[in-house]
Amino acid sequence: MSFPNPAKAVKLVLLGEAAVGKSSLVLRFVSNDFQENKEPTIGAAFLTQKCTIGDKTIKYEIWDTAGQERFASLAPMYYRNAQAALVVYDITKPASFLKARHWVKELHEQASKDITIALVGNKYDLVEDENDGDTLRKVSVEEGQKLAEDEGLLFFETSAKTSYNVNEVFVGIGTKIPESSAPTGVQQAGNEAGRIDLTTGAASTTQQTSGCC
Amino acid sequence: MSFFENLRSKAVNTFNQVLDKNKGEKLSRDEKFCIDNHLPDGEVILAELAVELRISSEYSLIEYNSVPQGRVYLTNHYIVFWDAYDRRNCSFVLNLSAVKKVERVPTNSYGFALNLTTHSKLNIVLYLIGLRSESEKFAHSLKMTLKSNLPNIKKLQPFMQTCYSEYILAKNKISDENIEVVPPGGLGLIYKFPGNPKELRDKSKMKLWFDLFRADGRNLSLIRTNMFHKLIRVGLPNRLRGEIWELSCGSMYLRLDNPDEYERILEENKDKRSIAIEEIEKDLNRSLPEYSAYQNPDGIERLRKVLTAYSWKNPQVGYCQAMNIVTAALLIFMSEEQAFWCLNVLCERIVPGYYSKTMYGTLLDQRVFESLVEDTMPLLWQHIAKHDIQLSVVSLPWFLSLYLNSLPLVYAFRILDIFFQHGPKTLFQVALAILKINGEELLQLEDDGMFIQVIKNYFLSLDQSAHPDSPNVKYRSITKFQELLVTAFKEFSVIEDSVIEKHRNKHRDSIFSNISTFVKRTELRNLPRTPNLNQLTLGVVYDRFYSIVETYNVTLGSGKNTMDFEAFYRFMSEICDFMNNETTEDTRKIVRDFIHRLFSHWGTSSTSISLPELATGLDKLAEPDLMNAMSNFYELYTDSSKDRIDREGILKMSEDLLAITACWKDCFVLDEITQKEIENAIADVVYKQQKQQNEKQFESEKGELKLPTEVDIDKSIIESKQTERYLSAASTFIQRAFEYAQPNEEEVLIEDLKIEDNKITHNAALNPNAPVFLNLPTFRMVVLADETYELFFSKTLQNSVHADKPLDSKFDTMRNLRDMFDGLLADGREVATKVRRRMDSAASNALLANSDGASMKSGKSTRIQEVDEEERDDDFNTIALNDGDKDVLLGAEVGELKVTSNSTRPTTQVEQQKAHESEHEHESENLIEFQT
Repeated sequence: MSFPNPAKAVKLVLLGEAAVGKSSLVLRFVSNDFQENKEPTIGAAFLTQKCTIGDKTIKYEIWDTAGQERFASLAPMYYRNAQAALVVYDITKPASFLKARHWVKELHEQASKDITIALVGNKYDLVEDENDGDTLRKVSVEEGQKLAEDEGLLFFETSAKTSYNVNEVFVGIGTKIPESSAPTGVQQAGNEAGRIDLTTGAASTTQQTSGCC
Repeated sequence: MSFFENLRSKAVNTFNQVLDKNKGEKLSRDEKFCIDNHLPDGEVILAELAVELRISSEYSLIEYNSVPQGRVYLTNHYIVFWDAYDRRNCSFVLNLSAVKKVERVPTNSYGFALNLTTHSKLNIVLYLIGLRSESEKFAHSLKMTLKSNLPNIKKLQPFMQTCYSEYILAKNKISDENIEVVPPGGLGLIYKFPGNPKELRDKSKMKLWFDLFRADGRNLSLIRTNMFHKLIRVGLPNRLRGEIWELSCGSMYLRLDNPDEYERILEENKDKRSIAIEEIEKDLNRSLPEYSAYQNPDGIERLRKVLTAYSWKNPQVGYCQAMNIVTAALLIFMSEEQAFWCLNVLCERIVPGYYSKTMYGTLLDQRVFESLVEDTMPLLWQHIAKHDIQLSVVSLPWFLSLYLNSLPLVYAFRILDIFFQHGPKTLFQVALAILKINGEELLQLEDDGMFIQVIKNYFLSLDQSAHPDSPNVKYRSITKFQELLVTAFKEFSVIEDSVIEKHRNKHRDSIFSNISTFVKRTELRNLPRTPNLNQLTLGVVYDRFYSIVETYNVTLGSGKNTMDFEAFYRFMSEICDFMNNETTEDTRKIVRDFIHRLFSHWGTSSTSISLPELATGLDKLAEPDLMNAMSNFYELYTDSSKDRIDREGILKMSEDLLAITACWKDCFVLDEITQKEIENAIADVVYKQQKQQNEKQFESEKGELKLPTEVDIDKSIIESKQTERYLSAASTFIQRAFEYAQPNEEEVLIEDLKIEDNKITHNAALNPNAPVFLNLPTFRMVVLADETYELFFSKTLQNSVHADKPLDSKFDTMRNLRDMFDGLLADGREVATKVRRRMDSAASNALLANSDGASMKSGKSTRIQEVDEEERDDDFNTIALNDGDKDVLLGAEVGELKVTSNSTRPTTQVEQQKAHESEHEHESENLIEFQT
């Protein structure tokens, strides 16, 4: 097709304990919006968003999975063939960091070999104003960095509420993701005119709700 | 008899639910009957007979297609009938409490007829067909059952007050019930029902139901005719929806039977917390948030109460996301109590396993759905397979939320109307119809994300015309939703329960094994770090844990996942040598106490132990570091202060050590010291033989050693030595423990240091007036002073715990003398090395003057009779040396080690003690060097 920058489709999956803010991160990235009460995700929600990094455009196909423990057995269904994953935890909840460790392990064991993983400590807004004293923060930056280094992950602390560092996560993933990692079938399919026309540019934060036709 | 039948049936039922994987196949007839007719569990068919029916009432409207003919069944609390030719023509489930009167009717054409008068003023005449004696028997059973049901009748009146059907009839003076207030109902009564009542033609529907109730009865005594099914298909009126749902799925009967249970559960668990409750709280504000009642504390509170009550009622399910949406929908049309019982039937009967901890039902039905798509729409399936589209990511939310979070609510309710009557096949039929209708478009798409988008748009257009371009007005007025229903229930009517069950049976095993693999993987990953147990061993521990916790079924996610003491004891006895000893009753009891000590130290709860706790505990037992291994053992006996063991503790510990080591004492298992001794004994014999054979070319003998297959050594001697060692170790231990135990400082102060040291030490164990305690360094010192106990903590104990022993293994981990002996000969290396060493040593001795070696002729060696006195050079650590020999045999360095271990060794010399273990291995070489 004759598009100057055929968008490269990247399947991205979000994993992490319930209520760490996975859906909120996606909502912030896709619609630049924040909602206090979001309906819980049943199975997984599917959203798309384009993101331009330098001269390449990535179309993220985002699978936002349910966080409740028992939905974990469904997760393989969503992370299969994923080229990128966000493993999200809540920096005020140590248990969610432990869970994040487990997810990283699970992905390394079970997901595609060249998957790009970003470790994301969310809810930065809860700690940013605090001094070093009595703090809500329960997972230190160093702990997160350490895990990320040990496991070869990207690392970010974000706030979906204030939008701090949210876009950087997706740009970071887009930069790191290997050029060849998109399954060719999907990529070519993504070049089909009908699908791409309906997606908007990366700078825009319009939600991609419409399908084709 | 029926009582026992009932009990048995209940037991079987529970058993099936928990354990039986192939549920569909193994149900008893009664269980199947209950499920088919939406009766509560435990109903048993007491009598049955072929009948013809005549039904009449004051308001009879319905002309039956034919005189209903079929079978009537009597169970403990119900009379059930369905038309043998067309179930939809006529069927009923009549609660016995709603039977007002039974009379025998004189009849000419039939031998026997019974007239039942119901609470809803129906006259049902049963013309019994068959032998007169059979008919008599049926009538008798009915009479007896009605009699035994008498106590239940008092429930009827209050129950009628809660039925909207009864209320509208009473208001119109049709019913005799006196119902002043509107029965408790759904939030819709206050906050309006979703959708436009005019568009939904709610009023006309209401009128039709009113007529039906009048003519065919209602709630507990309703005749289900064609009209009943038709009225369900066109959609229920909002005010009656709740009641018809609970009648259709049978939850009404549970509500009737357990009038106060809902409130009681809430009351009993009022202030309790649980994980489920935390999870529920997270979702309360996000359940159908667009419906006004759920932006209001009243609606939220009802939702909270029902979900919480259910999480207590069925803690194995607890709470699963999606239940909030389903329950929020129920509560629009139902009272809390109605919704609670309906949720019960939903989770346990209609879609079992959908919301369980592993969601096995959901996963299984997704697989079933895929294979139904493959069967019914092969083209689409090929396309899906070709593009590697995961269909279940599209369809899973439909099934899990019963379409409530996918379709616009008014349409989802219409699906639920049918779902409650016809069960899970409805979900499949609708799902297949959705794919079928959108098939053309889906064939153009190549990934699951786009599938989702297309279908999302389709759902939003369900109110539009299915054929907007048709010239025919009537055709044009058909909405996409109507088209969906027709496709689902006409075209896919072949997708019957039996078809679904067949597919479920086909895929059940693979889904279950996937889940067990996943659960195991996850659970192992979540275990705390256990440096001394590898992944393989943990896998075995996991398998054994769950094989012992029998009631727990991993895939169903039900049952408990902790071990009580009995289970723990069984677990340990499967892997611990020291528990499998044919020993005295007393010893057995003490070992049992010791296991209980482990149980209470490893687990946080006093009554149970979890898998992570067990793994951590076993990791401690497998501790290879001598110092840590001793601390771990020491900690089992410390008093509340955690850093010392009191007199009682010392006694208990000594007693336990004696009991645990009983299996070595009794020589069921041999330790390494004995092993070395056997090696030496064999080596001596072999060496002697070799020497005799090759006297001449002795020096050049360096080649292959041929070990004999049989060597005679005296078993009893070797065994008695081990016995002796363990007995002496035990007695030395208790003696030294008290000897070196420190006096209680406070007591010493009080006594003003009057008592001299030696007085305390001599009588310490016997003198209760001189409190003493053992601290960790002293404990270590006492253990290290005895090589048998030292070895016990560094190797013997951990080697006798076989956490990695495979489950199905018949292999006996116990190594008695014979096994060890055979093993040594078969392997041969150790013995061969030793024989060579003897040869080397003899060779070098031959070069030296004989006198140098003379001192080596240890008096000790006489203990092994068949050993050649001349060439004795045993590893000295294998033999309890007497003091005299020690000086003669050992170099200064080794001698010091021995000496210090007998006196108060400075406990700071940890390094030295650690080194001790490895030194043992080299001691024989040291000895040889010393000689040369």
